[in-house]
Amino acid sequence: MAGMMRPVTAVLVIEDDNRIRLSLMLALEDEGYTVYGAATAEEGLLLHRRSPVDAVVVDLMLPGIDGFECIAQLRVQDDVPIVVVSARDDKRDIVAALEAGADDYVVKPVAIEELAARLRALRRRLRAVVPRADDVPTLVFGDLEIRPEAGEVRLCGEPVAVTRTEFRLLCELAEHPGRVLSRQQLLQRVWEYSIGDERLVDVHVGRLRQKIEQDSGTPRHLVTVRGLGYKLQR
Amino acid sequence: MNRPRGLRARIAAGFAAGALVLSAGMALVSYGLTRTSLLEERERTAIRAAYFNATIVNAGISGDQPDVLEVLRSLDTGTNRRPVLRRDARWYARSADSGITDAIPQALRQLVEQGRPAVQRIRAGDGPAIVVGVPLAGGTAFYQVDSLTELDRTVQTLALVLIAVAAMTTGAGAALGWYTTRRVLRPLALVADAAHDIARGDLTARLDPAADPDLTRLTGSFNHMVDELARRLERDRRFAADVAHELRSPLQTLAAAGSVLTRRRAALDDRTATAADLVAVEIQRFQTLVNDLLELARSDQPARREPVDIAALARQVCRSRGLPDDIVEVAEGAAVTWHVDRRRVRQLLGNLVDNAVDHGGGPVAVRIGGAGVTGQLDVDDEGPGVSPEDKDVIFDRFVRGRAAAARGSSDGTGLGLALVAQHVAAHQGRVAVLDRPGGGARFRVELPGCLR
Repeated sequence: MAGMMRPVTAVLVIEDDNRIRLSLMLALEDEGYTVYGAATAEEGLLLHRRSPVDAVVVDLMLPGIDGFECIAQLRVQDDVPIVVVSARDDKRDIVAALEAGADDYVVKPVAIEELAARLRALRRRLRAVVPRADDVPTLVFGDLEIRPEAGEVRLCGEPVAVTRTEFRLLCELAEHPGRVLSRQQLLQRVWEYSIGDERLVDVHVGRLRQKIEQDSGTPRHLVTVRGLGYKLQR
Repeated sequence: MNRPRGLRARIAAGFAAGALVLSAGMALVSYGLTRTSLLEERERTAIRAAYFNATIVNAGISGDQPDVLEVLRSLDTGTNRRPVLRRDARWYARSADSGITDAIPQALRQLVEQGRPAVQRIRAGDGPAIVVGVPLAGGTAFYQVDSLTELDRTVQTLALVLIAVAAMTTGAGAALGWYTTRRVLRPLALVADAAHDIARGDLTARLDPAADPDLTRLTGSFNHMVDELARRLERDRRFAADVAHELRSPLQTLAAAGSVLTRRRAALDDRTATAADLVAVEIQRFQTLVNDLLELARSDQPARREPVDIAALARQVCRSRGLPDDIVEVAEGAAVTWHVDRRRVRQLLGNLVDNAVDHGGGPVAVRIGGAGVTGQLDVDDEGPGVSPEDKDVIFDRFVRGRAAAARGSSDGTGLGLALVAQHVAAHQGRVAVLDRPGGGARFRVELPGCLR
């Protein structure tokens, strides 16, 4: 498995609007993906459980289980990259979706090139952290250990389950110990945005803190530098 | 210049006037009563003493050869009381009392000489006095002149005291009015504070309905008004969100389907390819238009200020539009960390740069400067500039440059500069279009309070 690239990337589009789903499927197929469509969250979750896909594109307003719940359930299952494509651009919706576990959020209408770029960025992260061997370098921050090559995070020796995006974010910060990285820098390096929504960074940092800090309210490792950005320290 | 006086000043003046009227009235009445009763008391004393003395004199002069002066001298009168006697058309007075006879009025003398006792208040040479005339046997008349100077002084002192008290009461009334209005106006200050908070966008500001039972109606109406306002704003916000959703969903289908068409452009015949291009371009414009309209609909939201590296942001904006980032110039000594709403300033800069690309042949400089607490942004182009008549309306909605109108085509939505104006207004700033020295337009944005 190590370093292997699948020839085709499977994408699941969960969208209740038939016309939007069909047009997204057509356009993403043009971009070279194998695309599965689901009109409801239930259908999509079932599809993914049966044959896991490489990325999920999900709407927020769905009949039955809504998008937020759908993201949360997908996240329980595995760390498949999830991109929200929603007409809702209310910041509360965006933050809620990201907190539920989404990796990225774009507002409709999104250009297909842009959506494809988002998926590519998430996929690159996926490939970058495929586990390889045990004797890989370890970055140590006090009781926090990060092994970028192995895709591993340990807190006090205990493995911590982080998503691929969270891991990539942590690695970016860990590779520059004690140095402040601005939100825009992190957006460029982790999400490959030239200009993006900084809430993406903030919410992911918040999620990371809940996993790698003893007390996420008063973080010791992943600290905010007001007006500048974030840094990782011992 | 007839500026209306403030409510507090007017109420304080009212209190002062009321206090003045009351205290002056009280003072006048008590002055009058006191003075009258003092005078009457004095008069009674004078009359009693006169009769007593008259009796002594009468007894003293009843002999054959009485020494009238000796009798007068024997009276115990003190310094304020001067007895005189008229007997056989001659005045008899103690040597110290000579000259007092002139002060006795003629009318009184006539009464007494007719055999009737009389009293009169007079003004003698050395002050007010009271004259009592008592007829004695044999056409003799006894007069007694009591000086009232001491009493007069007492009454004057009383008047002064009363005037002082009245003045102090008036002052106290004014002070009370000032203090009372401060107390009374305090709830109004709370209302003003709450209204200010609401105007700044804090719709959770309310008055405490339990603060004062007398103000329940005011707090009730005020809070009801704010509730209504919040409800209405929420409805508008929801409407904008609904419109957004309803417009964005079909646009998503169009965008995805359009990209399928564009990808297959080579396989299409010329006519179909041209039509596909038109569709793609218009979808793009439609998207921008919807986003701009939604942005304008959110105009009521205040700027969320945070520290932003403005130079980095400007370079980013240029790069994202495929422009070289070395057109961004930072004035010498200018601070580049601004306290602004990043999202708004990014869009503002982006729209100014886009405007320069669309109408000015591309921006030649994006200059960052500032003075005091005000940051200044200039976006220069070398285009035809902006005509004077356009300068006034260029920041209105759906106004596009004459050149663009003449060309009959534009990628702009006519909202870009309106959004710039809106973002500037959210920062309480100013935006203007100037002539660039050497030709072209210079869009200048001034944002106060962004440098600290």
